Amino acid sequence: MGAAGGTIAPDRILHDMADLWASLGKQGEGDAGVLRACSMTLVVAAEESDDAQAIGETLAALMPEHPSRAIVIRFHHGEQRELAARVFSQCWMPFGHRQQICCEQIEITASDASLPDLAPVVLPLTVPDLPVILWCRGARLFHLPAFAQLAAIAQKVVLDSAAFSDPAAALREMSEAAAAGRLLADLSWTRLTRWRELIAQIFENRAQLANLPLVSDILISHRAAAPPATAYYLAAWLVDGLAQVGAHARVQFQSDGGEPVWRLSRVELRAQGRPEAIASIALAEGAAAEVRTGGLINKALLPALTDYALMREELSIPGADPAFAHALAAAAKLALS
Amino acid sequence: MCWRAVCSPVLSLTGYRGGFWGAGGIPGKRLKRKGRAFLSSGDSTGCGVGGLRRPPEATGLRYVASNKRATLINMSLENPFQDPLRFERRVPECAMVIFGANGDLTKRKLLPALYRLAYERRLDAGFAVLGISRTPLTDDQFREKMLASVKEFLEDSPFDDEVWNAFAQGIFYMAGDFDNAALYPALDARLKEIGAARHTGGNVLFYCSAQPSQYIPIAQGIAAANVGKGSGWRRIVIEKPFGHDLASAQKLSAELHSAFAEAEVYRIDHYLGKETVQNILALRFGNGIFEPLWNRRYVNHVQITAAESIGVEGRGSYYQEAGALRDMIQNHLSQVMATIAMEPSATFRPDAVRDERSKLLRSIRVMKPDEVLQNTVSGQYGPAHIGGQDVPGFRQETGVKPDTQTDTYAAVTFFVDNWRWAGVPFYVRSGKRLPKRVTEIAIQFNAAPLAIFNGDETTTAPNLLILRIQPEEGISLKFLSKRPGAGMKLRPVSMDFNYGSSFGERSPSAYETLLLDAIIGDATLYTRQDMVEASWTVVDAIQHVWDDTKFDFPNYAAGAWGPKAADDMLARRGHVWRQP
Repeated sequence: MGAAGGTIAPDRILHDMADLWASLGKQGEGDAGVLRACSMTLVVAAEESDDAQAIGETLAALMPEHPSRAIVIRFHHGEQRELAARVFSQCWMPFGHRQQICCEQIEITASDASLPDLAPVVLPLTVPDLPVILWCRGARLFHLPAFAQLAAIAQKVVLDSAAFSDPAAALREMSEAAAAGRLLADLSWTRLTRWRELIAQIFENRAQLANLPLVSDILISHRAAAPPATAYYLAAWLVDGLAQVGAHARVQFQSDGGEPVWRLSRVELRAQGRPEAIASIALAEGAAAEVRTGGLINKALLPALTDYALMREELSIPGADPAFAHALAAAAKLALS
Repeated sequence: MCWRAVCSPVLSLTGYRGGFWGAGGIPGKRLKRKGRAFLSSGDSTGCGVGGLRRPPEATGLRYVASNKRATLINMSLENPFQDPLRFERRVPECAMVIFGANGDLTKRKLLPALYRLAYERRLDAGFAVLGISRTPLTDDQFREKMLASVKEFLEDSPFDDEVWNAFAQGIFYMAGDFDNAALYPALDARLKEIGAARHTGGNVLFYCSAQPSQYIPIAQGIAAANVGKGSGWRRIVIEKPFGHDLASAQKLSAELHSAFAEAEVYRIDHYLGKETVQNILALRFGNGIFEPLWNRRYVNHVQITAAESIGVEGRGSYYQEAGALRDMIQNHLSQVMATIAMEPSATFRPDAVRDERSKLLRSIRVMKPDEVLQNTVSGQYGPAHIGGQDVPGFRQETGVKPDTQTDTYAAVTFFVDNWRWAGVPFYVRSGKRLPKRVTEIAIQFNAAPLAIFNGDETTTAPNLLILRIQPEEGISLKFLSKRPGAGMKLRPVSMDFNYGSSFGERSPSAYETLLLDAIIGDATLYTRQDMVEASWTVVDAIQHVWDDTKFDFPNYAAGAWGPKAADDMLARRGHVWRQP
């Protein structure tokens, strides 16, 4: 349902949504009807060139676990103020059930110039009493002057520093925004969870934990020519953790080429004078990572993460993430040092 | 931390003769000193030069035995890399000893659950399994058998060769007879060897997956060889039945206590590991809207149903000795009832929750002999023709005596004698060969005090909160709503929360949850001695009367919802069983 004259009225969209639910209810079999599910408002800011089908598929995959009112805003270059909207639903029927579960989706197309008009449109469309998460899929959008107004609606803004051309600059900007009070998440940090979890698990073993204060060197290998944001995050997080046990470790980054560029390939914690690393995780071919510690070799599966997997994790933390906030500040300093 | 500034983090001991501090950090245990230790460096706080002045626990230190020396580890050192917001639970290093490693439970449940935990990166890199049973097998032969079992019984999970190969390096086997005292010193030696190679820190989880009759010989063997003590923690998991009556349960506990403190005994009840049973606690104590209604003022009665559509499936001779009352109501369903009816605990610490469960179980009214037949129904299924097939009755099953009086169905009206529940009936039933496999709890609330809407009986239908435990875990709330259109006609509607589809995640199996809990040392979902004894006290009072009664069995046909007497039992109070 497009809006005439390049403007849209939130009331009209809400009315369209009510009609949508009424029609969905009529389609339900017998008394089964449809079940409306919602746990948040998820605002997705994407470029018009961004793959609409991929975004739709990601949202559809997210809905069963994080049912939400999704508001997808697709931006195109343009100096004229243009806005259009349509509503539709994402429904699925759990296996063995007769009842469909549905979430509502609103798609808004907007020109860059109309960004200042968007916040007053989006605000009334958010679901009352539930968190609002803004997923900004492009670095350019984050840099648009009026983006802050849209971001102000959300409790949390999810970015991906891997989409920024200069990781160090991205970390600096994000760190400044966080220092100014904006609650942020970075999918580059999310990509590290499994690496961090493996490292944490290694040092749950008391014998390995006893070695931790001996760590003098951290070696991080990455694919890109320059360290990506993930490498800075990991280094900052490790340095901070080691400092807590009295170890002051040096960080060494190393490029070993390959794709994708944001991906890490190896991390090692070494102690001076010891030939073997205290712990190392190396990504092998395929999805398996080799974990070496205390003379034992283990395998862990680390398949490539999709947008769905990353957002699934981030949406489960709608509030503050102190570990990330700490790592962001430290990674920004490290990247700029 | 004493050593951060002045001591080396890892200190070698000289003069060590083994078994230096026996308690391994278990609170309340007396420390035993068998030799002298000298530290290579130290300070004035107890890691000092010239000998250890305080027990390691007092300084936050602990010894971990390795081949020929002990390593002193700082126990107060915290892993700085944990991120509770994103990571799963913290899992310590340990070895798990499975008694009955060739049995069905090991093949169908334990190894698939352990593999899945490894797949999910939940286990320590050095995690080890030591299987024990009579059959002579090499480590590799046992690994092959377990590989076949995991592939066959792994549910909802992919299998990965590389993960298995790494996991299998930690699987070991030894043959032995649980009655043979020589097994246990050999087990101790093998554990030390595995511990040194896999850095398991002396932590051992024993798992009794053997026949219940072998629990006591196992406990005695462990006690005699002192394998229940070591440099790390030691725990034992036992499967039900925890005795066959109060006296035998007490005897079993006493034998277990010869080797383990009660806090180290984990009596597993896989019902408590189910997501929805755990979700009962979340529903009740995580929300503010239910608890005010959760009492005799608003709840009319509670029905707990655990129905199975299958018969005894070749376990006739075992089941003949147990029966539905002992096999289901004494353990699973009394625990579920306790979870439904318990008071809120002050914290979510294991013993705080278990204290409340225990208090509830002790508040269940113990029936006098003359009350039993009024408030209980014993049933046994007879033959039937279902879906074009002849289904045998219980007495026709293999291994079952033709005149057996064993109950394949049991229904009981319990009352809880406390202020919250006084006068509210808790109807609990369980049976085999019922129409479908379902376990659920239905909490029926009182109807609205005044029916102001004209209409049929549906306009006064009471609200029901249904907690489904299996097969589709979820919660439903039934309430009345106006039918669309003219007039004020009401109809009952259901608001459903389906656990699987609402969260879209694979729910861990009960064994994954419970094994991880035991490794972590979280006994919240395990049954304690006082709880077992409380439920046996209630059940024994019924069983004694049943044992002295000659029932006219069979009294329900396979495929029916139990004997008519069960309907009559509810009808006496104006209630009817729900048909799940």
